[in-house]
Amino acid sequence: MQPSHLATPLATIEQLETSGSQLDGIPADLEDSVRFAGARLTQAAGILLRLPQEIVAQAIVVFTRFFLGPEGGSLAEYDTKNISASSLYIIAKMSAWPKSPRNVINVYTYLDSLSSTFIDIEELERKHDAEEYYVSEGTFQSQKAQLFAIEPHILRVLGFQLHVSLPYTLCITYLQALDVFNQPRASELAKRAIARLNDALLSPQLLYLTHQSPCLATAAIYLAAKEVGVKLPDVEWWEVFDTDREELGFLVVGMLSVANFALEEKGKWGKRKVPMTVEELEVELESRRASNSEE
Amino acid sequence: MAGASRWANIDDLESQRKKEKEEKKRLKQLKQQQAETEAEALRAKKEQEELDSRPAKKRKLSPSPENRSASASSGEKRKLLRFEAGGWGPCRNVSNFETLNHIEEGTYGWVSRAKETATGEVVALKKMKMEYAQDGFPVTALREIQLLQHSKHQHVINLREVVMGDQLDEVYLVMDFIEHDLKSLQEIMPEPFLASEVKTLLLQLTSALDFLHTHWILHRDLKTSNILLNNRGILKIADFGMARRTSDPPPPNLTQLVVTLWYRAPELLLGTTTYDFAIDMWSLGCIFGELLSKEPLLQGKNEVDELSKIFSLCGIPTDMSWPGFRRLPNARSLKLPRDVEQNAGSIIRTKFPFLTTAGCGLLSSLLALNPESRPTAQDVLAHPYFKEAPKPKSAALFPTFPSKAGGEKRRRASPHAPVRGGAAPGLGGKEIDFSGIFARRDEEQHGAGFTLRMG
Repeated sequence: MQPSHLATPLATIEQLETSGSQLDGIPADLEDSVRFAGARLTQAAGILLRLPQEIVAQAIVVFTRFFLGPEGGSLAEYDTKNISASSLYIIAKMSAWPKSPRNVINVYTYLDSLSSTFIDIEELERKHDAEEYYVSEGTFQSQKAQLFAIEPHILRVLGFQLHVSLPYTLCITYLQALDVFNQPRASELAKRAIARLNDALLSPQLLYLTHQSPCLATAAIYLAAKEVGVKLPDVEWWEVFDTDREELGFLVVGMLSVANFALEEKGKWGKRKVPMTVEELEVELESRRASNSEE
Repeated sequence: MAGASRWANIDDLESQRKKEKEEKKRLKQLKQQQAETEAEALRAKKEQEELDSRPAKKRKLSPSPENRSASASSGEKRKLLRFEAGGWGPCRNVSNFETLNHIEEGTYGWVSRAKETATGEVVALKKMKMEYAQDGFPVTALREIQLLQHSKHQHVINLREVVMGDQLDEVYLVMDFIEHDLKSLQEIMPEPFLASEVKTLLLQLTSALDFLHTHWILHRDLKTSNILLNNRGILKIADFGMARRTSDPPPPNLTQLVVTLWYRAPELLLGTTTYDFAIDMWSLGCIFGELLSKEPLLQGKNEVDELSKIFSLCGIPTDMSWPGFRRLPNARSLKLPRDVEQNAGSIIRTKFPFLTTAGCGLLSSLLALNPESRPTAQDVLAHPYFKEAPKPKSAALFPTFPSKAGGEKRRRASPHAPVRGGAAPGLGGKEIDFSGIFARRDEEQHGAGFTLRMG
């Protein structure tokens, strides 16, 4: 099958039903938390590495694919932050914006030094002691070896399927087709739509792995138009972009629920860190077991 | 976004849905009306015409049932496009395959013929070289796999899957097994391909090249040993180890260390770092010449010798024929003869006495020194050479040959593709004197039909 810019490989029902992590006894809610934090970590690292959002989005999709399905990687076996770093490194390497292992490792070390996963902006802007995220030569060498060692694991689990079609440019094309750019609030509309697409990357419903880009782009436009108050044609315009009403409704609800999920996660973890390594995950599971037996 | 607004939005959706249903109904009615009036008008017109042409015939007044059903169907559910790109699953282990025999060793991997144990299907297995590991998993291997995945075409080798060994640095490409490559095939053929066969091969090759170029892929290593031919006369381009995506304008600082010497375009030899699809078209020209004569066209011993062979076949570049060539990095060390009669076409004509005028025209245009003057793959496909007699032979009528790849290991006499990471070759830094190239040219007999070699 000739891959197209419009089509992206999607997860099978079997892959969505269970995962390597769940087979290893990791509760589904913890898996959701870790996956969400891992996707956010990838996004944050991508921003600090000054990578275009297309590259970051591809890396997040690859990261998410890795932990999916019974034959996917397990959180009990792979450090989440390593999978995130290698996904970003490998996607950047194949693109026109390759990043050196040194830059990738520096950025991940810095992000790791932050005191909590859901850190406040004020806390983030406070001047930190650079020693907290200094990478010594020895650490660098071992981290680099790790970065490289993970790459073939990702490629094996994905069967070298790194193709990701993204909805960003489609979204702009669709907005043009809808002839909204002569309206006063068009650029605000476009920004909201793109923001919705970025939200969807973090969705616990794995929207990018279950829906094709044309539908994602259409749903983001629909939602953004409602938010910004731009009037779109009074007909079933989404069908022009190959999205039916049912899928549109599902995606709109899915995109809207990301914010709620994020707030819940923030409330749940507070000042704590979401486990990003196998070791940290063990500690979390141990403390859950302890609190369960107390009750 | 709080929870309340989420449900508000659902209600909103509901009411909108109702509104839209009504709107849809209204539109449908409108459409039906419109279709009916249109059909009516058409009928009236038709009847009028009928009336005009056959006035004596009985007039049909009742509307025909076909017209009714046509107008009713216009309001049916619209058909939406569905996009599919498959899914993903882990790589299988190479132990699912049983090696039969080795075929060849290329610059970027070892190829062998193998059998899938479960199905008995024979495939080609290419083990990728993994030694360039300073950046982790070799980006060349990743590119090759990605480009093959993205190049599904009748005349491009089909990548079935990627499998791994017990060690994760053992990566194998599983591809369709193709019996021959054009290079070893020509070595065992007693006579060159017939003109009709050359046309078919060239058309197939160019259609694949057109596909790649349309998808912004530069192959960068076209040569007869990378072009496969099965026993049903179907040609496939293989070995994407050098390929990459490009853009318009082309990215700056591309490596000039591409394309095996004998098929390397003059702009690459002169050290350009910005190049485009024309480098593949040059290789196509070399392959065209090779298919005609069963011999590689420009067998240079090194970069300088290759250039000199090119200049003696295609003429010396001038500021007229190739504006700006003197600015290329390696051009400064060239000393070119002045006031040489530009007779490039006639040298090619002399070398290929049996080629028609159209054929000569095509070959000389592909071998134009100035990359800008070379035709695109599209242009080649539309060239009159393919329209004139003899017509391209149907692939099904191609002769079959015993397969070398199916049997013994083959020898490789042609040079390899340049190795990545090496230093870009200059032309030795010395001044290179090409003024003697045409020294004995006038001793040759010029003519369309035959050539007379002196000495």
